[in-house]
Formats: sequence, structure tokens, C-alpha cells
Amino acid sequence: MTATVSSTPSKPSKQAVATLRHISPGWIGRIIAALATAAVLAYPLVSDDTYYQNMIIISLVFAVGASGLNIITGFTGYVSLGQSAFIGLGGYTIGVLATKFDTVSPWLWVPVAGLVAAGVAVGLGLVSLRSRGPAFVIITVAFLFLMQQVAVNWEDVTGGTAGLLLPLPTWGIDVINWPFYYALVAILAVQLLMTWWIRRSKFGMGLIAIREDETKAATIGINLPVHKVAAFVASSVFVGMAGAVYGYYLTFIDPLGMFAILISVQIILTLLVGGKATLWGPVLGAFLIEPLNETVNNSLGTLGGGNARLFLFGGLLMAVVVFLPNGILPSLAAFLFRRSREGKAGLVGARIETGGGLESLRKHVTVTEAPATDTTPLLAVTGLRKHFGGIKAVDGCSFTVPRGSITGLIGPNGSGKSTVFNLIDNTIAADAGTIVFDGEHIEKVPAWGRAHRGIGRTYQITRLFAEMTVLENVVAAQRSFSLTQLGRPAITGKEAAEASEFLAFVGMHSYRDQKARALSYGQQKMVELAQVLMLDPKLIMLDEPAGGINPVLIERMGQMIRELNSYGKTFLIVEHNMPFMLDLCDPIHVLARGATMASGTPDEIRTDPAVIDAYLGDDFTTTRQDVH
Amino acid sequence: MTQFAQNVVLGLLLGGVYALVASGLTLIFGVMKVINIAHGAFLVLASFIGYTLWSALGIDPLLGILVTSPIIFAAGWLTYKVAVEPIRTAPMTSTVLLTFGLALVLEGAMGAIWGNNSTSITPSYAEESFSVAGLFLPKVDVYGLLVAIVVLGALALILTKTWLGRAIRAAAVNSTGAELVGIKVSSVAALVFALGIGAAGAGGAIIGVLYPFVPGSHYLWIARLLAIVVLGGMGSLNGAVLGAVLFGLAETLTAAYISPSWATAVPYLVVFAVLLIRPQGLLGSHLRQDSVTA
Repeated sequence: MTATVSSTPSKPSKQAVATLRHISPGWIGRIIAALATAAVLAYPLVSDDTYYQNMIIISLVFAVGASGLNIITGFTGYVSLGQSAFIGLGGYTIGVLATKFDTVSPWLWVPVAGLVAAGVAVGLGLVSLRSRGPAFVIITVAFLFLMQQVAVNWEDVTGGTAGLLLPLPTWGIDVINWPFYYALVAILAVQLLMTWWIRRSKFGMGLIAIREDETKAATIGINLPVHKVAAFVASSVFVGMAGAVYGYYLTFIDPLGMFAILISVQIILTLLVGGKATLWGPVLGAFLIEPLNETVNNSLGTLGGGNARLFLFGGLLMAVVVFLPNGILPSLAAFLFRRSREGKAGLVGARIETGGGLESLRKHVTVTEAPATDTTPLLAVTGLRKHFGGIKAVDGCSFTVPRGSITGLIGPNGSGKSTVFNLIDNTIAADAGTIVFDGEHIEKVPAWGRAHRGIGRTYQITRLFAEMTVLENVVAAQRSFSLTQLGRPAITGKEAAEASEFLAFVGMHSYRDQKARALSYGQQKMVELAQVLMLDPKLIMLDEPAGGINPVLIERMGQMIRELNSYGKTFLIVEHNMPFMLDLCDPIHVLARGATMASGTPDEIRTDPAVIDAYLGDDFTTTRQDVH
Repeated sequence: MTQFAQNVVLGLLLGGVYALVASGLTLIFGVMKVINIAHGAFLVLASFIGYTLWSALGIDPLLGILVTSPIIFAAGWLTYKVAVEPIRTAPMTSTVLLTFGLALVLEGAMGAIWGNNSTSITPSYAEESFSVAGLFLPKVDVYGLLVAIVVLGALALILTKTWLGRAIRAAAVNSTGAELVGIKVSSVAALVFALGIGAAGAGGAIIGVLYPFVPGSHYLWIARLLAIVVLGGMGSLNGAVLGAVLFGLAETLTAAYISPSWATAVPYLVVFAVLLIRPQGLLGSHLRQDSVTA
């Protein structure tokens, strides 16, 4: 399993390239990885050149660091400039413990260092629950410098700015580097194995959903705190261990060397250059950047005191962000993919199919024959309120959604309809009001909890996970949450079959392997509906299902809603297409200025003078007759 | 009591200079949604240029602002055109990394040109003070505050009273809309970037007289500046001024009554606390987030 990519293998000859053309790029990659692994494993045995051994040891440390960072940055989308803090924590753990208990082998403290790093990472993970994007980057820098301050000021334990000297290795001078070398290779192997496993698991799929659209991920049932905290632990535990080996290898640790922002920069560069969200990218990056760093420092040392390193890292960071934002491996993969697809027509422009048999759905959704006696509403909101600064978007809105109904919510633009949706599924938190779903107060339930209880919703402006395929988008929805489920394969055969049925139902089956970003708006609407169905919700909330799609599709949308409704699914629909709504919905609630102004059957609403005045307009009745 | 009043006055004076530098950072964020991590590096660069003007040409370091600021302004404009503009549409974290890279390059350049030894600017009046009602007001701080007030006042006038100011504010609120009504957003953005960094230049020239500096000082400065704008509310000019004054006070009082070594930890703690407890800061607006389009 162990492998690293180095420049050691010689370039294949022209003939070899010609024969290799018939082998898939994936296999070429595997062969290169295997050869490089063998080279790295064999190097200390065949050469005692300590200069290169040292270079590989440092590269291995960065490979572990960047591979760990990959889990929160590449998969989860949180950029951190504090990753070197975990190397520092590992170094200090072994430094402090090895000097205190000098009778036991320092190797004993390597796993402990992993635990310490993981413990601190839990804290950083909790921080990520409250802050995203650039604010999070700033926090990670502050976190790193705070760690440094602690190491400086907590002199009794850390030795302050003077640092700590570790006990010297006790083994023979001729194999002095071997234990460090192979320990790091082993740690990297475990790290890569874990990354590989995460990418294939439900856990990894959840992380990618969080990266693509965190708010949306929560509304399709992904438990954010558990995913994020686990990701931060996974990103740090082996890095802490590598840091401990690194500290022991250096035999000297101090605050400036261990909690260095430049090490963080090198880690992030390593990841960006190699390629985010890839298995081997961080390893490739490490074995490119560190040798480059060494070379530049040796040849440009005349600039004085580390200035060459600053130029190199600063300049590279700028260049990578501007010119190579995707990194080497993803760019290479994209290039090979384009070449393999040359001259083949894309599917994206094809028509949406008429859809598969609606009957097949009965197998996959819970069918409830609602007892006529149960008259408690499925959803009841009372006095819902949300103010944005001075804007009262929702201001005392109350209505109910009867079980088994198709309830409509209409009102002028800006009357608060979409905000009401956002409050019901907790895309945003309400200021006040009660929400009772299926007899249970859910005001304090987080978005994913509401999804698990049976609320599914689509967005007015579709929010699919752009970098996932259509099938992955649908399967990403999680009906319930359990820790064991995180370890299951990302897409099981059963789920794939189920998702395929839903995609067939909405007429999008032949798009299942396309990236969501390639789809048109109308197509995305259909996929989002399939995604919601995957939750098997009791209440399906649709935000403008007929907006921006063609009349045939609107017709089809109406049929689908009725079909699902006949299985006992309750609907709450926001839409401006009045013929569509008056035809489909009963009851209808009218929203104006953030509050419910009228409720009733379509006929009552159509003739209500207040509603005509506020929303429909005097000429509405004639318009409607024109339609039929 | 007098001692306390003395510390408060010193904190307020310091806050004025902080406000000048932080206003540039918050202006750039407000208009472009770019967090310019290189802001501290430009500040230190201005200190070094002021040092050279003073030590080699004998120009008074505070008068030197008239030379330093335009140089830094031009550097800011160039930075925008060369590095920031190509990735305007990229996620905000990309520009954070980009400007971080720029800060490292500037640090390396300053180290190569001026060396990594501690540098200070000591004009004849550096140790002199005005004495008002029994309180000592160091001359450098007072002059610095006056410069800060003049520059900040000019900035405020530009933003509220001129066509350029309206264009800047329009671009800040809705850049596509501004483009549609005939504002050349990329030119406005370049100008704002240069103005913001120019303000850091003016501040850096003053700060060079207040404190000794090395190329690596920019880390501490960017931490301080981020703490200030985060505290005041990112993008809010009034917030930056308020944050700067509060921060100047907090730092001076911490150094006086707790310990100077803890004063360096204050910015990091402020950043942590504010971003976690009240992410929009003191005066930052709480915008609705649900209507954001993809």
C-alpha cells in the first residue's frame, strides 16, 4: 500500500510510450506509483547519502501533512493555514514527554502525539461550525500563532524560546536515519489508506457535499458537526504522529521552528501543486516542493537569512493560485479526459425524457394510506418571524399543512414565501415562532434533523453539488444518521438502483453520470426533485417547481406531484404560475408582507377581493379563462 | 488616576494611527471582498522607504509621507492589475492565499534590500512630548494622529461627496449592477485597492517612527489589522475607526496593567472571540443570506 512518487524512475522510451498508449492512464499511474514506492523503500538500503535521505525524510513529513490537510481542504473545502500547528504539537508532545520520562523509548510517545493533535483538532473542528471561508482561514492563522505564543510563554513545560533537546538516538550511526525514514513511510501509508477509504465512504461523500454547498448539505440530512469534527480529527492524527517523528529526528524543537507559518505555507503549496481531493496529489507535491526548496536555498543563499525561501514560497503560492488552481493531477486527468472524448457528442443538450413508469416508485417511497380520522395537520407554523436588520421578511406568519394535502403558498414577490421555506427547514434560523411537524416541536432541531424527520425541499434557484455527478447528487441525501453508516460505501448497489428509479421518474436517467454543473436550469430542477425523493420525506416543499421550465415539463411536474400525492406524500408548494396552482392545490395560503392574509380553497382565493387587490389583480379572472 | 488617564490618552493616540491603516484594509474588503493579507507587508514597506528617505536624504519621516504614500499607492495599483484582477471571480480564499503569497514575497524583498536587523527612525523630536494638563503627549503620536485625521477625512469626503465615491459604493453593493449603469468596475476596483494600500503606506510611515521594525513585523501587523476590522465589522469604515480606537486602548492597557508579553496575544484572541461570537463585528451589517444566488 505504501507508495510515493519521486522523480527516480527514468523516462520511458518512445517505443514504450507507443505500447503504453493502449494501457489506460489509470494503470500507467499505478505503475509509476508502484515503481516510485519501490524506489523510496529501497533508497536507504542502496545508498548511504544522508543529504538525499534527509530530503526524503522531510518530503515524507510534508506528504503526511498535505495529505492530512487534503481531507479538510480538498474534500471538505476548509482552507487552513494552521496545519503546521499539528506538526508542532506532535513535536512538542514527544519533546516534553521524552525529556520528562527519560527511561522509556521516545517512540512510545509517537501515537500519543497523534492523540494530542487529534484532541486539539476537535477544537478547531468545533470552530469551523461557526465560521467559514476566509474568516476560517484567518482563524487558523490566529490559531497557529496562539500555539506559538503558548509554547513561548509556558516555559516550565516547553522551555520557552530556548526550546527542548531530545535524547539522542541510541542505535548505530550507520543506520541512524532508518527508523525515522521507515516510520514516516509507514505513517504515510496509513494516512493514504485512510484517505482512500474516506473517498469511497459515505463519510467522504458527505464531506464533498459540505464543500460544494454546506447549507444545502444540511437540508438533505447530512449531520454537519459529526462530519466536520471527524474530518478535522482525520486531518490531524497522523500529522501529529509525523510531527513527533520529525521532532525526534531533529532532536531539537523550539517555538519558531515548530509553529512556523512557512511550514503551513509549504504544506498548502504541496497540496495545491499536487492537486486537491486526489489521493496521490499531496505526495507528488511534497516530492516536488521540498527538493525545490532545498535547491533554491542552497543556490540562492546569498540573498541572506531565508529570504530565498520567502521568494520561492510567496511567488509559487501566487503563481499556483493564478495559473494552476486545480493542481497537477486534476489538470492532467482533465486533459486526458478531454482527449479521450474528442469528437464525441455530449449528452447535455438532449431532451429530458418523458420519464419512466410512475408505478415503480411505490417500491421506493413509503406509501401511507392516511386514515381519514387523523385530522391533525402534518405541519403547523405559528407566529413565524425573521427580520434582516430593518427588513421584516417574515413577520407573524401562521398556517397549517393538512396531512395528505397539496398546499399552496402564494403571494407577491418579496412577501416572504422563500424565507418561510428557509425557516421551516432551518436553512436560516427563525427569530420567533413555533413549527410543529408531525406532532413534534422542531424549532430547535437542526436542518439535518428536520430532513431525517421527513421534510425535504427544493430551492427556487437550484442548489445541486456542482462537482458531483447526477447520481451522486441523488445518493448524497441521507434519510437518517448513524456513526456506522459513515463507514459504508458511498454508493451501494441498492442505493444506485433506487436513485436510478427516481431519476427515471423525473426523466433524467440518461444524465446520471454527468456532472451536475453541466446541466441546464430545468434539468437541475428535476434532479433536485429526485434528490429530495431519496429522503423519502413525508412533506415535500417545492419552491417554484414550474419556474423556468417549458410548458410540457410543467404539465409533467403536475402529474408527478399528483402521483406522489396519491401515495400519501404531502406537498407545500410556492409558485407564481396561478393556473398551475389553482388547479393543483387545496388549500392555498396567501402571504403578504411576511404574514398570512388569506387561506382557503382555490375558489375562495380566486374570488377574495383582498387577494385580488394585493396580488392577483382585477383582470385575473379573464386571464384564467384565456388559458382554458 | 493620572497614570490611568495617561494610558488612556496614549491608547487613543495609537488608535488614531491604527484607524488610518485599518481603514485601507476594510475599504478593500468592502468594495472587492478581498482580504488583503499583504496589507501589513505594505505597511512595513512604507516604514522602510521612510527610513531610507530619512537616513539617506535627510527628509523628515513625517513629511516623507508625501513621497512614501504615492509610491505605495502605485505599488498597490500595480499589484491589483497584475495579480488580483486575474482571479477576481475566484473564491475569496484564493485571494487570501494570493495576497498571503505577496506578503511573503514582499518580506523576502525587504529582507534582501534592508536586511533582517531591527530598524528604527529617530528624528530629533522622537523623544519629545507636549505637556497638556499634566499628561504627556509624545510629539510623534500627536503628529501621527493629525496626519491620520487629515487622510481619513479626505477618504471620507471622497467616499461620500464625489462621483468616484458613489461609484465605489455602488460597486461595493452590486458590481454587476454598477457595470450596467456605466461604472467601469475594474478601474474603480484598481483605484480602491491602490487607495487602501496607500492609506497603509501613510500609516506605515508614521508607525516606522513609533516602533522599531523588521521585515517579519508584517505578521504582527496583519494580525492587529485583521483584529481591528473584524472587531469593527468587515467592510465598515466607521467600524474600522471604532475598532482601531478600542483596540489601541485594549493593547495599551493590557501592556500597562497585565504584561507586555500578553499584549502580543491580544490580536489573536480578539480575532478568535469576535469571529466566533459575533462574526459581523460591532458595526458590520447583518445581510440576508438566503437570497444569495449561485
